[in-house]
Formats: sequence, C-alpha cells, structure tokens
Amino acid sequence: MKLSMKCRWRILMMAFAAAGLFACPALAQPIRVVTTFPDLADITRQIGKNLVSVESLATGVEDPHGVPMKPSFVPRLNRANVLVLTGLDDEHSWLPALLEVASNPKILLGQPGYIDCSVGIPVLEAPSRLDRAEGDLHPKGNPHYLLDPVYAKIAAQNIAVGLARNFPQHQAEFDRNLKAYLAELDTWIARWEKLAAPLRGVKYVEYHPEWVYFANRFGLKRVGSVELKPGIEPTPNHLVQLAQQIKQEKAQVLIYGSQNPRIPQQLQNETGIKVLRLYTSAGGRAETDTYIKWIDYTVRSLVQAVS
Amino acid sequence: MVSISRSPRVAALLYAIGVLLLFPGVSFSQNTELDGLKEWAKKTEAELQKALQRIDQLEKERAANSARVGQVEKSVQAVQGAPSALNPAIGMVLDADVSHRSKEGGDFNFRSAEIGLAASVDPFARMYGFVNGTPDGVEVDEAAAVTTSLPWNLTAKGGRFLADFGRFPKVHQHELPFVNEPLSVERMIGGETQADGVEVNYLFPTPFFLRATLGGYNKIGEENDRIDNTKSRSWSRFSYLGRLNTYFDLSDNHSIELGTSMAYTPSLRLAGDIDGGNRILNGIDVTYRFQPLDSAVYQGLTVGSEFFRNSERFAFDTLAKRRQAYGGYSYAELKLDKNWSTGFLFDYAPSISSPGKKTIGYSPFVTWNMSEFNRLRLQFTHADDRVREDKADGGNQVFLQWTTVIGAHTHGFLGR
Repeated sequence: MKLSMKCRWRILMMAFAAAGLFACPALAQPIRVVTTFPDLADITRQIGKNLVSVESLATGVEDPHGVPMKPSFVPRLNRANVLVLTGLDDEHSWLPALLEVASNPKILLGQPGYIDCSVGIPVLEAPSRLDRAEGDLHPKGNPHYLLDPVYAKIAAQNIAVGLARNFPQHQAEFDRNLKAYLAELDTWIARWEKLAAPLRGVKYVEYHPEWVYFANRFGLKRVGSVELKPGIEPTPNHLVQLAQQIKQEKAQVLIYGSQNPRIPQQLQNETGIKVLRLYTSAGGRAETDTYIKWIDYTVRSLVQAVS
Repeated sequence: MVSISRSPRVAALLYAIGVLLLFPGVSFSQNTELDGLKEWAKKTEAELQKALQRIDQLEKERAANSARVGQVEKSVQAVQGAPSALNPAIGMVLDADVSHRSKEGGDFNFRSAEIGLAASVDPFARMYGFVNGTPDGVEVDEAAAVTTSLPWNLTAKGGRFLADFGRFPKVHQHELPFVNEPLSVERMIGGETQADGVEVNYLFPTPFFLRATLGGYNKIGEENDRIDNTKSRSWSRFSYLGRLNTYFDLSDNHSIELGTSMAYTPSLRLAGDIDGGNRILNGIDVTYRFQPLDSAVYQGLTVGSEFFRNSERFAFDTLAKRRQAYGGYSYAELKLDKNWSTGFLFDYAPSISSPGKKTIGYSPFVTWNMSEFNRLRLQFTHADDRVREDKADGGNQVFLQWTTVIGAHTHGFLGR
C-alpha cells in the first residue's frame, strides 16, 4: 500500500514533534531536587512550583544531627539535579559520607548544584573556643535558624538563587514565585508576632540548644539546657542543679524534640514545669507538613502551654 | 566714568542699554545664529551626559576592582594568618585494653594509636591515610586516592586501602561493635582486608541501592603472609575481587542490607615450589537494622551475619591438597539508650588448612559511650579452641577496652 504525499508529511511532522519532545529534558521531566529536611523541601516547592520534583531525605522526626545514614538515600542523591541543605554543619554527621558514594559531582560542596541555605544568615552562638570539652560544637554557629521565620526568607532567597544558577531559563518564574512566597511569609510573620505576644519574657528550658533563633524572634528567655554540653547527656549532678534553677527562675516550659522523653518527664515531676515536644523541622507531625504550618503549630503550642 | 567704574552693576546696565539702542534688531534678525547656539548647547549637553556616564562607569569599575583587590587581600591575609588553612583534616584514635585470659594471665595492652589524614587533592580526587602505631611497630594502614568526578557513576580508588570484601573485614578494629575482630575473619581472610592495588566502584542507576566493586591487588589480608606483598610476579598470582552490595528499606524503621563477595587468586605457589593452584574466597553478608526514626539515637537493634568459604590447596610434606573451609560469625547489638548498648557475638572459625579443627567463641559485651568520641567496652569471651595454634585463642577471656578520638575522624560510608 502506498502512502499519499500528505500522509507522509503528517508522519514526518509527528516524528519531528516526538523527537523534539524527548530532546528537551526540561519539558520531559521536572528538575529533581533533594533536600535534607522537609521544611526546605516545602520552601523549594513554593519557589519551583511545577518545575521541580522535590524529595526530602529526613522525615522531620529525626534528631537532625543523627539522621540514619541509609543506603537508600544514595540513589536519590545520585539522580538529583540540585541538593538543598541547611548548612552550618547541621548535616555533618551523615550527609558528607553519603555524598562520597553518590557518584554525583554536580551536587558536591562548591559545585553549582550544592545549595547551602545558610548563606547570609546572621548566625548566633558561633563558638569563641573550639574544643570538644565544650561538647559537640558547631564551629560555624547554631544551625537551627529556620526556627526564625524571618531567616526562612533568607533561606528561600538562597534556594531561588541556587535554582536560577542551575536553570537560568526559569529565573523569571523562580523570582515571581519567591516574591509571592516572601509576601505570604510576611503576612504570617505579622500574624505570629501578634499571636506570640504572651511569649515575651517567658523563661524556658531546652533539651538541646536548638531554640535560640525562635526565642530571639518572639522574646523568650533561656534558663538552661538538659544536656550537660551540646550533644552530651546530663549527669545526675547537672539534673539536680537544673531542677533548682527551674524552680528559682520560675521557668515555665521545657521543650524537647527527638530526644528521649524520660528526663523531661522526670524534671516535670520534680519541678512542675510544663513539658512540650516540638520538632525542629516541618514534617514531624502530620499537621505540620509545610513550613508555615510547622511554625504556626509551634507558636500556637507554646502560647497554649504558657497561657 | 569715575562713577561708572565705581559701580560695575550700573556700568553693565548702561552697556546693555547702549547695545540695544545701537543694534535694535540683533536678537530678532539673527535667528540662524540663535539656532546654531541652541544646537551647540544641545551637543554640549549630550557630550556632558556621555562624559558623566563614562565617569559613573569608571567609578563603578574602580569600586569593583577595589572590591576584588579587597577579596584577594582578605584571602591572602587568611592564608598568611592561618598557614594550616589548607592542611588536611587530622585526627587520632587511641585503642587500649586491659585483659585477662585464663590460659595466659593478665595484660595491659596498648592496641593501637591511629593517625588519620584526609583532604581534597584537587577538583578531581581526594586522599586519605591512616598511619597506625602498634606494639609491633608503625605501619601505613591505609593511604589511598579516590576520584570524585568520574562519569557514568564510577569511582576509582588506588593505593593501600581496605579492599571491599564483606562487611566487617573492611572495618578498622576500633570501629567494630565488639572488642576483637572475629577469629573467623582473622583466619579466613587474614585480618582486615588491607590490600595494595586498585578498585573501581559502580553505582547502578536503579531506584534502590545497588553497588558493584571490581578490584585487583597484590594480596588481600593484613596478616595474610602466604603471599609476599613486595615481590613482582606474574599477573596470575595477584588477587582479584568482585562484590555486589544492595539495601532495602522494609519500612521507615526496618531495613536489610545484603552483600556477596568473591576474591580469586588464579595461581598460588606454595612453599617448596609445589604448584598450589588457585584460591577462591567467597563471602555473604546480611545485616538487619531496626532504627526507629524518631529515636534512632536512643534505640535500635542490629543483627548481622557473615559466612565465608575458602577453597585453596595446601602443602602437606610432598603432597598438595585442596581444602575447603567454612566459617563465619553472627552478632546482635541492642541500643539501650544514647550511651549504652549491649550485644552478643557468636564466632565459628575453622583452620583453613585443616577445616576439621575449629574454634567456637561466645562473647557477650556491653558498651558505654560517654560521648561520641569516648567509649568503654566490657566483653567476656568463652572460646572452645580445637585448632590450638595460639593459646590466646581459647579459654575464658575478659576485656575492658577504652577507645578515644581526638580531632577529625571518619571512616566514611563503608564503615557505617
């Protein structure tokens, strides 16, 4: 059977169209982004929208410094176009070793695909003395800056800049989405500042030094930490002193996250302090699956606890 | 005139009136000249704008240049101020114990002091090294260069390193969950899989973790003295390795890891020039982990087993006979909280030249991690030794091990 000229042209055009579709990877598949934590995954989704496919390695319930080094993370890192991380050595105990075997030079430190969200963050608690006698120090400072929603705006800007650096053809869209997300964050920040008014001056105890950025933003005052030094479990003596301090200074709330609840409950029994489990990343609870929902939940829970 | 010269304003006014009276039609009759002046003014304005723009541009360039100079100065100052800035990360591990063996007595034992160095070589490779001091002397335990940017999911490693055979055979002794390397690993592999050679890893582009290793070495096994590590020889007398390693998440909290390894030496000449034929060493390793995500720092269970098969010819007087030996170990470790864990090791270690003779060991142990870098471990071992090569292998034994780390220390992904 002979094909007519018109039919041949149609087939040819269809073949060209199909070839064009497969030759253009941006159309065929979204940008693959791997983030270390779910809060960064959510912020990346807000900026990349349908241009990105984002997955987080951690789920949000883990101790951020002790995320299990699962080999199943390796194929995800291998396929990633970009890696978005908290930085300030927050992931130092598990991410570098995974990157060593992921065989993906694009996302190694110093490469364009390595998006460190801590760039430009006014870092708190940078140690003046680097010595392990001071515990598991973060030499670059406290990495839990995402607990301050104002600093989340800096992280969002870093993500937008990082995505545009790797995919400049989408810069306009990233910029537009960033602007909208920053405006949304500003609205929420104003709301949280009003909502968190009862937290001003509230004295708190934390298990691990994670809450300084949140406390600075909303006016809480730290009384002490359950850990003897960062990352070092308390000695009995330290717990006795801490219990006295809680009573003397009338600390109202003890915040812990992925740590064992045994010691917080013991201190609650001894001193009457309210104990609150709050994770330091989105995703720790079903109702905190986005960054905004997570901060909102955190503010509301604390206000409720001290009311 | 005197009065005019005294008052310049009045003089100027009189001059202007005079001009107007003398040339009453000048301003109206010479339109063309005015137009010319206007045009000249426009041109001058345009040129002035251009000059201003150029000045702006030059100022910006000067600012950028001085910023660049500032950055370079800062960088130079940083390097001058901290001459160690480009030095590698350095760390040291001290491993010591006090032991009592029913057949030998007590001993304070300095086991090792390991100095580790690691840094990037350039954008294409990194390098690491471990120099180990023991009561027997100082030795380069590992010194290897590893590529970081090969295409097609490939990584190459060369130098002296722990060959990718099995799970614990390639882990330094102080990193093990128990005090001593299992006797089965010591006898069947020759201790840690130290090897001089080259290794290539390939990460399969699969949705699950699947990694292959191919390697070629002088020999495998730090204490494997059946082959001379320093002599040149035929390529058939080298050892070649293949390994496949995979991993599956059974759920968020449960996982299983599997590996199979084979080391092949095509020709192994025995003492007295008896042709020894080939040597095949197989291994299978299985590790189950329970790591509850929300409390992995506090709870967990790891159960691991490795099985080995060695097939090799050994010289007996004038005869050479092939012997097949099977051995291995199983262990379980339960994490009780952040600082404490406990476990049990079962070890089945045959003599590879006389597989009928074996040593069976039972070792409960308890570990106290005072911190991530400071650990005490107490272990009791009962070993039923029928091989009788070394008194230290049998009887009842008690160990109290103290391991401490200073500086940077990591054995990476494979030592997890």
